[in-house]
Amino acid sequence: MKGYEALRESIRELGLLPAFGNPGTTELPMLRGIDEYYLTLHDSIAVGMADGYSQYALKPSLVNLHSVPGLGNSIAFIHTASKNRSPIVITAGQQDSRHAVYEPLLYGDLTELVNGLVKMKYEVRHGDDIPIVLRRARAVAMTPPMGPVFISFPMDTLDEEAAYEAKRTGHSPPNLIDEEAVDYIVDRLNHATNPALVMGYEVDVFDAFKEAEAMADALGCPVYGEPLSHRSPFNSNNPRFAGDLLPASTLINMKLLPHDLILIIGGGITLYPYLPSPLLPGKHIISVGFDVDPRLGEAFVMNPKTFLAAAAKKVKHKCDFKREEDLLYMNKVARARSTMGIDYVLYKMKKAFEGFTVVDESISYSPTLRSAMGYGHNKYFTAKSGQLGWGLAASMGMSIINRKTVAVIGDGSFMYSVQGLWTAKKYGLPTKIIVLNNGGYNILKSYAKSYYPELENADYLNIEASITDIAKGFGVEAEIAGNELRELEWLREGSEPKLLLINVDRTVQKMFL
Amino acid sequence: MKALAILPGFIPMDQIKKAAAQILPELELTADASFEKSDADVLIVTTFTKVDAGLLSRMPNLKFIQVASTGYDNVDLGEVRRRGIMLSNIPVANKEAVAEHVIMFALVLLRNFVQLNSQIRAGQWPVLTGARELKGKVFGIIGMGAIGTKLVERLIPFEVGILYNDVRRLPQDREEFYGVKYVELDDLMRLSDIVSIHVPLTDKTRHMITERQLNLMKDGAILINTSRAEVIDEKALIKAVKEKGIRVGIDVYEKEPPDFKSELFSLDNVVFSPHIAGATVESQERFLMETIANVLRYKQGLEPQYRVV
Repeated sequence: MKGYEALRESIRELGLLPAFGNPGTTELPMLRGIDEYYLTLHDSIAVGMADGYSQYALKPSLVNLHSVPGLGNSIAFIHTASKNRSPIVITAGQQDSRHAVYEPLLYGDLTELVNGLVKMKYEVRHGDDIPIVLRRARAVAMTPPMGPVFISFPMDTLDEEAAYEAKRTGHSPPNLIDEEAVDYIVDRLNHATNPALVMGYEVDVFDAFKEAEAMADALGCPVYGEPLSHRSPFNSNNPRFAGDLLPASTLINMKLLPHDLILIIGGGITLYPYLPSPLLPGKHIISVGFDVDPRLGEAFVMNPKTFLAAAAKKVKHKCDFKREEDLLYMNKVARARSTMGIDYVLYKMKKAFEGFTVVDESISYSPTLRSAMGYGHNKYFTAKSGQLGWGLAASMGMSIINRKTVAVIGDGSFMYSVQGLWTAKKYGLPTKIIVLNNGGYNILKSYAKSYYPELENADYLNIEASITDIAKGFGVEAEIAGNELRELEWLREGSEPKLLLINVDRTVQKMFL
Repeated sequence: MKALAILPGFIPMDQIKKAAAQILPELELTADASFEKSDADVLIVTTFTKVDAGLLSRMPNLKFIQVASTGYDNVDLGEVRRRGIMLSNIPVANKEAVAEHVIMFALVLLRNFVQLNSQIRAGQWPVLTGARELKGKVFGIIGMGAIGTKLVERLIPFEVGILYNDVRRLPQDREEFYGVKYVELDDLMRLSDIVSIHVPLTDKTRHMITERQLNLMKDGAILINTSRAEVIDEKALIKAVKEKGIRVGIDVYEKEPPDFKSELFSLDNVVFSPHIAGATVESQERFLMETIANVLRYKQGLEPQYRVV
């Protein structure tokens, strides 16, 4: 068997399809026999699509990038996949090793390029390596905390002889638990005066919502979402949910002020911007999960779902927290109607897209969107890295397996990966796209308002583009919403990609201290 | 058509007579309802005139009664129905005035305005006050009719949460438009920082606010009544003011003018107005115009607007 045949068989055996990519000449040798290939018109969009697909499906998918240029174009997306803990297997073609010494066109140190961004990296030396390295790549990518891996394929190795033997490969979430640690943590909780729970993205990854709610009820204490969680950390309809922590030390400290013990489950603390308050001084902090951060305090590696199920049976009822209903919400919605304020737009969106998975890249509206649309299993995704351009690509990847996917993207973000629309149209992906148009980079304007007021009105923070015309240019149906937002119903219906532009209130809100 | 208007004595009758002569020459004006008999087929009254079987029996040709007011509890509806007489009120003339009055009561009470005014007049200069903002409070409206709706429209910019209770719930799109939430009466009393009443007086609404409902209110919450005094059990209200620190704005009284010896008038946390919530120069002009318009409509053989019976 030749190397490329071993690659083809391994990809099938390991369930790595679909593949997303934009190949060049160096990739053609490896693509012989690979089907279910989604072509994207920029390398990076392939990584974003695979990220969305793999996060939603919790299975690996394949990315095929074009040597140094393709990998270089995709670095931000690989960084995001890493932060998103997305189990994608990234491949790239490498120059023929027989003349590598001359540093030919397209040649470069590919594994060095992805240094620090992937869980595993390897450049194939021999045809025989191929099935072995793919098995290892899949296992490493899928081991929690999951993440991207990278394999470089020199062109000549694909035509070398390769020994291939099919091997069974299974994967199930490891129900790892440390009983002694559970008892210790329960004891700390039971002796705490006023504990709080902070839930993170692993609650969604392991579908531990039921267990998380049982724990919250048993303890009776408030549950906060980790700052900038990229997936749903808790069922936001549960009255124990006290909202998301904001990503700045002062704001976190203020929110958690009454609590003496903070138990972080399946997540961590992401910070931005810097504020001079030390982070949670004097608090007893315990982290549990596969993705624990020992920098915060005590840390125990365990399956968060298994931990929650065990601990909920042992903790004492310490508090009786119930979130009060926001009785001012409907008034906010009514006030925002005349100006197309975000509260009104999101209220209408929530009604029209109930039950949909939301891919959020609305940046300056993200905190409001999270609160309005709500959290649930596989219901909310965003880029953990702060990158722009990911939302459209990820939502397209997700929509391959989940027809009820809606992307909510700011106009600034949308323009980063706009050519993704070609792929959506080409493969008939049912992606529904809402572009919230506020005419520029409002998150920068808001940041400037707090820290650099002289820049808030800088011309280079404004953009104007005829987004619906651009979408139509790619063959995607597009509309501009009227004040009643009836077009949301139009957007929801049908199985073809559609785009709705909503011109929202351009007032810059103060989002930072 | 022959029309008779029975108006209270304090209204400038000569002025109205002059205007009526130009607009409706067949209109007879009087301040005295104790006439022996009238053959008028149209009767115009305000709430100051009791329209009962006695008055109606002295008007055998009466076909249409126009009450120049929002309220019409001065009219014996059973007797009017039995006699097959049409009855209209004017529900559109004073709702803005009442809504503004309610907000004034709320702000006066939230800002301790009466006490501050008194202290300054007494030569004092209060530094710290317990003044509160309307922003962020929960406003409960009992009765989402014409006035309740106008109140909501005016409250929206104040950034308050708005709950309401009514015998009829608004359609969902209206609730969304106004940003209001329907709740049961007990929940409204329990959750609101400010409660304002806008229901007509009927057998069902008489004493609808009793000690039980008042006990559900938050300590120090505000209750405003510009509808009818009988909707609230006055004794229970006095108790709630004394024991729960409930603050009250009152525009309406069971007897008007009221008995000023009532304990109500000795309480610090209560502010009063003399049943003038709906009475502004602008609203009186609107009442007059609407009343004239409706009578003219009847005269032309058209269906009068705002039919009650």
